[in-house]
Amino acid sequence: MSGPFVFVAPPSVDAAIAELATGAPGEVAVLAGGTDLAFVLDGGRAAPRRVLSLRHLPWRTLDWNGPVLTVGSTLPLRSLEQDPEVARRHPGLVQAVKAVGGVPLRHRATLGGNLGRAAPASDLIPVLLALDAEVDLVGPNGARTLSVDRFLISSWHTALARGELIRSVRFPEPRPSAYLWQRVRPSNDISQIAVAVARSPSDGGWRLSVGGIPPRAVRLREPESTLRSASPSAPAVHEAAEAAARSLPIAADRRASEEYRRHLVATLLERAVGTVAASPDGGR
Amino acid sequence: MARSLPLTVNGKSCPLDDVPDSERLLDTIRWRLGLKGTKEGCRSGECGACTVLVDGVSTLSCLTLTHEVEGSALTTIEGVGEEPTGRAVQEAFARAGALQCGYCTPGFVMALAGLLRERGRAAPTEELLDDLGGNLCRCTGYLAIARAVSTLSKEGT
Repeated sequence: MSGPFVFVAPPSVDAAIAELATGAPGEVAVLAGGTDLAFVLDGGRAAPRRVLSLRHLPWRTLDWNGPVLTVGSTLPLRSLEQDPEVARRHPGLVQAVKAVGGVPLRHRATLGGNLGRAAPASDLIPVLLALDAEVDLVGPNGARTLSVDRFLISSWHTALARGELIRSVRFPEPRPSAYLWQRVRPSNDISQIAVAVARSPSDGGWRLSVGGIPPRAVRLREPESTLRSASPSAPAVHEAAEAAARSLPIAADRRASEEYRRHLVATLLERAVGTVAASPDGGR
Repeated sequence: MARSLPLTVNGKSCPLDDVPDSERLLDTIRWRLGLKGTKEGCRSGECGACTVLVDGVSTLSCLTLTHEVEGSALTTIEGVGEEPTGRAVQEAFARAGALQCGYCTPGFVMALAGLLRERGRAAPTEELLDDLGGNLCRCTGYLAIARAVSTLSKEGT
């Protein structure tokens, strides 16, 4: 059972920031959708003195400004995946969102919560990296923006300063993209390996990332540059995927062996690159 | 610390007093409201047995703090048959014999009722089955459940 804490649901952003700033680190836990927080509260892995709900904040939003998509941090994932424009312009993002939990879980789970928790096996972080997503933060000293790559420090550890909240996540441009994963059970399970691949229409460059490996999902910069040619040949894609699988720091755990994970990295990367290359703007 | 919170349960106003801040919606439903149709399976968001509707939207009650749904309209398996979609799901499950031990059934019915409210009956069977992936039947009685689902989708009617 969860220990006794005080539940607070501030009525405004300012009130939430003020509330958050009053606690010592670890004393206040932020609740966006709460699907992960409730789980760690039950297991006793977190014992905050206060739980700060974001339910009254005006951040359940989804906005397009030209090519830029901004997703409010407390928008339920289910709303994101059901938006036809997002599905059309960011296919990999929607594939990743659908890999999170099941539908009832995604009715509460949020992009901001997933990113803020920074779980090593997050199904959303790899695709955020491949889409060069940026995270908008607000706090006692105002607003700032970080790339997701800089925001993530390690497992369960982010660059959020004391009193800061994630306001939104921004995607700079629509990209042909794909997200592939392997796990024991399709829903409500954790990926043994997941890969995200995207190709930028503006610079022609590839973005590859791998998740499911502690401490955090990573961009694969060397294979990305290997693929830079206009239309990489199948052998070049195969070789880049194999090289990525060999070079990553991968360990065994109860979900999968090291050998199996390396095999998955190579196989899923090759497939995902193929999918993106075959899409209308991906082959260029 | 505890305080009162307004809640509508199966269409009736049902304000609750002295709900501890850490109480889960699942425990409120089963132990405070005495509605034992909602089941506790894994208590960690892996099985879907505790699925209820919050403002018409399927939700895992085991991962939801009761205070988080203050002021909402809650529908449980005891009340879902009061509206046409829920009744249709219950009847489809009964006709298909879509249960074995029955423990997962309320969660499946609530998840499917929520899906049909969201998507309507135009949704293809395959997509509905995909979207039910969060619900586990430990008897593995999925074929009859899939039959029930197919009678509720576009192709089945």
